[in-house]
Parts: sequence; C-alpha cells; structure tokens
Amino acid sequence: MIVRDIMTTKLVTVEPDDTLAHAASLLRQYRFHHLPVTRKVRLAVPQQEESHKAETVLQFEGVLTSHDIDMAAALAEKDGASIQPWQEKRVIEVMHRADLPVTPTTNVASAAQILVERGLNYLPVVEYRQVESEHKAILVGFLTRSDLLMALSRAMGAFEPGMQLDIALPSGNMTALARVLALASELHMSIRSVMAAPLSGSVPTTATIRLGTINPAPLLLRLQEEGIHYSFGTSLAEGDIHG
Amino acid sequence: MANAHPHERARLIFDVTELNYDFGPQHPLQPSRLEALIDLLARSGLWRAELPETRLDFRPATLNELSLVHTPDYIAAVQQLSLPEDATMDQDVLKARSWLASKYGFGDGDTPPLPGMHEISARITGGTLVAMSAVMGLPEGGKFEHEEDRPLHVFHPAGGLHHAWAERASGFCVYNDIAVAIAHVIRSCEAKVLYIDFDAHHGDGVQRSFYDEPRVLTVSFHETGRYLFPGTGDVLELGQGSGRGYSVNIPLEPFTEDDSYNEVMNALLFPLVTSFAPDIIISQHGCDTHAWDPLTHLSLTMSGIQAQMKLAHQLAHTYCGGKWVAVGGGGYDLYRVVPRAWSLLWAEMSQQQVPEQLPPEWVQCWQPAWQAAQEQEEIGQQIMGKSSAATSFPTTFTDRAEDFPAQPRRWTISHTNRQTVALMRQLAVPSTVVRQAFPTMRRRSPLSGLFDLLHMNRERTPSSSKVLETPRGSVLFRDFCPPSLVERLKPDKGLHAFARLPEREQELLLGIAKSPDCALALAHTPNGEIIGEVTIAPADEWWEGIENLYEVAIEVSSDWRGQGIAKQLLAFALELDAKEDMIFFAIGLSWHWDMEDLGISVYRYRELIARLFGSQGFVEYPTTEPNVSMEPANVLLARIGSRVDQRVASQFLHRLLSSPNLARL
Repeated sequence: MIVRDIMTTKLVTVEPDDTLAHAASLLRQYRFHHLPVTRKVRLAVPQQEESHKAETVLQFEGVLTSHDIDMAAALAEKDGASIQPWQEKRVIEVMHRADLPVTPTTNVASAAQILVERGLNYLPVVEYRQVESEHKAILVGFLTRSDLLMALSRAMGAFEPGMQLDIALPSGNMTALARVLALASELHMSIRSVMAAPLSGSVPTTATIRLGTINPAPLLLRLQEEGIHYSFGTSLAEGDIHG
Repeated sequence: MANAHPHERARLIFDVTELNYDFGPQHPLQPSRLEALIDLLARSGLWRAELPETRLDFRPATLNELSLVHTPDYIAAVQQLSLPEDATMDQDVLKARSWLASKYGFGDGDTPPLPGMHEISARITGGTLVAMSAVMGLPEGGKFEHEEDRPLHVFHPAGGLHHAWAERASGFCVYNDIAVAIAHVIRSCEAKVLYIDFDAHHGDGVQRSFYDEPRVLTVSFHETGRYLFPGTGDVLELGQGSGRGYSVNIPLEPFTEDDSYNEVMNALLFPLVTSFAPDIIISQHGCDTHAWDPLTHLSLTMSGIQAQMKLAHQLAHTYCGGKWVAVGGGGYDLYRVVPRAWSLLWAEMSQQQVPEQLPPEWVQCWQPAWQAAQEQEEIGQQIMGKSSAATSFPTTFTDRAEDFPAQPRRWTISHTNRQTVALMRQLAVPSTVVRQAFPTMRRRSPLSGLFDLLHMNRERTPSSSKVLETPRGSVLFRDFCPPSLVERLKPDKGLHAFARLPEREQELLLGIAKSPDCALALAHTPNGEIIGEVTIAPADEWWEGIENLYEVAIEVSSDWRGQGIAKQLLAFALELDAKEDMIFFAIGLSWHWDMEDLGISVYRYRELIARLFGSQGFVEYPTTEPNVSMEPANVLLARIGSRVDQRVASQFLHRLLSSPNLARL
C-alpha cells in the first residue's frame, strides 16, 4: 500500500493571508483539526507543454492546526481587548512552516513509522514542480493519523458484516490458510478480509479471516474433518484450539 | 387450559404467506419454526386465529414505504432477483443476475436470492409497519370502531429482520421491517421511538438506519462481535451528529447466562428509558440467545428470555402508556426453543397464564422433526465450541435447571460484562437524568459548532418535534433535522425560492443538515412532504470576524401560505437556549420574492417579511451590505441577543454600514 491509496485528496485549504476567523469557520464546518496552507499558482500541464495548457495547483506553504487557533484565542484573551482580536490575525502569523512532507508513492508503512517516531499527527503529500525556475512543493494530498487508522480498520474488514475465525499457522506454515480459503470458496462463503501478520517474531502464527456469513457451521465442519486447527468464540481466550 | 380471551388489548399478526420466507431445506432459518409456534399457540389455547379481536389484518409495504429505508436501486435489484431463474434465460442474463446478486448481498449462502422474495419481504415489512401504526393510532394501522378496540400491544413473529442494510441484504434479512416501520412512525407523528434488540446478533441494520437520529434510541444486547456475526455492535458505536448517545450497544461475553444477562439489562434499560422518555417501544425478540441455539453462545435459558419480555412489557406500561410492538428475529433451535419462547412472549403480552406442561399432542407432532436433525445439531454444537445440547425434547414451557449445567469461568464472564455496563453508563446514560439545578457552563472554544453552542448542557433531546394543526391537516415541525430524516422526506413542489428544482432543493437541505455549523428546522406533512424550512447558517464572508453571527432564512411552500405556518415555524426554530448569546440576521432580496403567487406589491411583500421577523424581535437596519443595497426594496433584519458582548454588538453595527472594500478594517 502506498500513500496515494489512502490519502485525502478532497483538500480544504486556506491561503496565507486569510484571517483566523475564516480558518476557524472552515475547521468548524468540516470538523477538521488541520488545514493545509497553500497559494494558488498557474502552471503548464506537464507533458503537454506544446499545447500551452495551464492548470491551477496549490503551492504548499504550511499547516494551520486547531491548536494554533485555540492558542491564538487564549493569548488574545490574556492580552486584553486593546491588542488586535485573534479573529483578525492572518494565517501566516501562526501557521507551521517546516512540516515534513511525503510523496504519493511513499510506502504507507514508512509513513506510519515516521508519524510515530516524530510524534506527528499529519503528513502533507506533495509533488515537486518547476515554479518560476524554482522547485516548489505542490500539495496533492493530505495524510492524517485518521486516514491510517481508517485504512487499518478497512484492512481488518471492520466495515463489512461478518464473523471472525482464527486459523493456527504452525511455524508460519500457510498451508492451512490456503485450504481454509479454498473450502470457503467451495462453500460459496464470501471472505471479507484475511490478515496474517506477525504480532511478534518474524512469521505470522495466526491468520484472522473475516467471513461474510452468519452461519459458519458448514465450513467449521469441513475444517474439523480435515484436521485444521481453528478457533472461534471464546475458545481462543482459553487457549483451547479445536481440531 | 388458558383463558380464551386475552386480558390486554393485544393482537398477533400472522399470515400463511409469511411461511414462504424460506431459503431452502439446508438453511438454518426454517419457516417451520413459525408453524410450530402457531400450532403450539392454538393447541394451548393461547391464540385463537378465528377470533378477529386477537389478530390484526395487514397488507404488504408499498414501494414508497420500503424506500424510507432502502435505496431505489436495491429495491429494483430485489424485484429483479425475485423472478425465478429459468432455462430460457441466456448467458448474458444469468451473468447480469449473478452480478446483481453479489453486489446487493445475495451472493453467498446466507441470503440466497429467493423467487418471489420481494413480495414476501414486502408483506413481512407491511406487518411490522401496520403493527406500529395501529398502536400509534396512525391511519396505516387500520380503522377501529371504538378506541378501546385499538391494540396497545402487537406481536409480529415473522418480523424482526434487523440485519438488512439500506442497500444490501445481509444475515438472512432482505427488507428491514423494523427500520421501515420506525421510519414511517417518526415521519408521521412526533413520537420518540425506543428500539430494544434482544437477538444474540447485533441489530446492525436498524442501528445504521437511525445512527444520526436522536428521536430513535436503539439499544442492542448481543453476543460480542469479536468473533460473532456481524462483528459490529461495540460499546463505542454511539451514534453520529445530533444522534450521538442515541445508539447503545451492549456486547456480552459468550456464555453469559441468565444471571449476568439480567443484571446487565436491568442496570442499563431503566436509566436509558427514563432519560429518553419514549412514546412507543418496539422490541426484537430473537431467541438465538438460548443455550441450545446452534449459531451463538450466550447460553440463556427460557427464564432469561422471559425476563426480556417481562421487562419490555413493564417499561411500555411505565413510560409509554403501554404502547409496545414485539417482533421475532433469530432463533435456530427451530422446535425446542422458538415455539416456546414466542408463546411465552404472546402470553406475557396478552396477560395469559401459561400451563406448566406443553400439550402432549404438540410434543408428539414436533418431536420427530427435532429428532431427525438431532445428530446434525449435536455436531453443530461441538464445532461451535459449546457443550452438548442433546438432552431431550422439552415437555414444559419453561426450562428445567438441571438441563443447563453452569458454565466454567462464570465469575470472569460476569466481571467482564460489568465492565461493559460501567463503560456504557459513563458513555450513554446522560448525567442529566436528574436535571441539574445549577448547570455548569462549558468553556466555549472558538471551534465549537452551532450545535454545541446551542446544546451546552444537553438537557433535552437535541432535536425536538411539534405538531401544528392547520385547516389543511397536521403539519410536523422538527428542529436540528438529521440527514437521515431529510433523505426520507421530499420537498413540496411549491418550495422554489432556495433552489429552482425540487431535487436541487433536497440536496441543498441535505447539505445544511450535514453541516455541523448549520441548523435546519423543517415543517412537513405526515406523508413526508417538506412544506417549509428555516435554516440557520454562519454569516458569509462579508461579516467575517463577528462572533456568533448567524443568518436565518425561511421559506414556506407557495401552496401552504396563509395558514400561519411561517410565523409558527420561525418561532419554533428560534426556540433556542443560546438565543440571547447570538446575533441573528435575515436578508430579504426582492428578486427572490414570488409576488405574483400572492398577488401583492413588492412593498407589501417587504412589509410581510418585516412583520414575520418582527414577531421574533428582529428589527430593520439600514446597511451597505452589497446584496441588500443593490435594490431599495431589499431589507435586512437583525436581532441582537441580550447577552451579546457589547464589543461584538458594536462591531456588527459598524459592519452594517461599512463601505464594502473597507469591511475588514
């Protein structure tokens, strides 16, 4: 999986000269916590220079977070009414500039790792383009921890009705898993997701399958006949594996 | 022998056509369980089908009613797949059918396409809809000669298909009869509906249908979705938007048993129902919670199942004037559990004594059917990780304790269940069950949305409803309309000032309902036609920087003018706790006015608007706001709340007259 597969591409952005009031109303409206700050620039469409076609792209400037606004509001309150009210401050005065960007082809695993390593909540996704003889970062997407978590829960089949079956994989041997999948297909049971990842160590010892069925009995019966070790219900918690 | 006449005003809905909901001989859900039930009711004298006062006539749900919950493409697919496959169909047609089947949830063994399933499912849905309508006194419930003939309780054993989604079949369910019936009720009257789901599986379809709707509280007790279908139903699924806190899920440990189940149920239902104050209860009585059920592990006995129905009955009488509809649901021990459980439910509902012994002739009739499948059942129990359920065929209505040996780990299981209850109580049971004398004000973040501003202490249902009687019939008002409600209504064609076309209008309203920073109040007919709307939205950029400034707009369908609806709707929409903390303004632009329809001049129209908003304390202000100043007939009216900060008020007054290009200085 690469960043492009899971990033947000419907971007809601602000300009550096927008007021905090405007930014606050956007954050409120969309229930976001981060707003990328961008400038609109016109660039020639790449690979079509002959046709002189131009497109508007978003040059990345920084990110404004809800925390920045809360801080600005709290500061203004402390300073009293004589100073400029926070609503009239410009985005550029409070935004973060030096954010760590990634590109759409960055591996999701490394993106997740960098978020945790550096304690970040988001990563701007950029592509580099020539703007007035300078290489500039153009914002093409935005990746937050929420996007990663959604990708994870989707991978675990959380959005599809189904039941969960755990298959033992002794020393990472996948034969049992392959057999279960073949049997499910034979019985016309739909598979919502399959996960076999090492929890610790280097090989997976359990495969978790989400089956799109309310009635697993026919499959379980076959597994038992073939001596495949599975667990279902609380039996796993008790350390009791059938088969 | 039990009494021939039920004591309470209870009725039962059953029709032989409902037995056609049959997915074939290998399927776990067998209609013969209903036959066994009806036979048991008849043989024990609990229900006599020939007496008209104990049954309720019903009809299939219409396409219109089904579309309250289901998407048009799904309904069309169900209709298409209802046609039996035949040999004359060519390869392409068959391919198209199998594509449809897999797209809409009929692709696997659980819910295979069944010839005629549209008609059968629509009929079952109609049953539940008629049941709820009859209890609520809606016209779809049928006519009763005397008000005393109107049933207070209705039982529809074939209903309870709680897994069906808006756009797909799931878990043996094609159309979600419960969701359709509830959607019909909340569209037709101002009732709040409590849905209690006792099935061992999570009531996911019903929950999804009302996830953002604070006037429907869905409560589902089920075996945890860690392993069991449908996998959802975690405590954290609490609802969305203004419906937050109105979806309640209690996932229970496998092998919970009666005592822990009762403890959990009692600890949660009372405070939830007290704070919600429903007008009607609909409960789903899937009896797959029983220890003998082949698909699940909750391990209840008949006594635990009886406690559910007794509690639902008691809650209905305490809080809803008795209004209670019960439906069936899961239950896959077809002959030993389902007929007894649902006979007990009917007896509870109709306040009849149940004899101790099952009628011997009934046992003789149904025992062989159980015996035939017993070996298979025994293997099933074992592969599901359960102890043997062999015993014998029951001869009494209730269970014998000795048939249910205590489960190991009982203490750990009830301990885990108590943790779930504690978490649930913290998350969903409002602390304001007892209204606080001195509510604490939360500090307001500049990022709180309009909804948060207006519901600082969440004292009442976040979306209220009211009925206005007009000469043309009743009109329902609803404030803070959730998106799901807007989707179920359709704009009257006389609404055209906001958007030119009715479809555009619906999209527009949906957008407003979805925005956390806007509020939408609607006036609609019991048939679901939107005839008026009030929107409250943040002021546009010209007003930037002024806190808590909101623009109010109103429209009433041109076909419904002159009934005083506008004035009443505006008053209703502005009945807000935080009204005095906010500045509201309304702009009247003469090019939006439909003077021709009313046959009045532009100045009369202007006066009309000024008077309408004047009734809510709005005053006319001169302004340089570009749209208003474009035409002398245009008007700006505003209401500055009494608690609005002086600085903000004067900022607003300055902005009114600022020159456009200096607006931000």
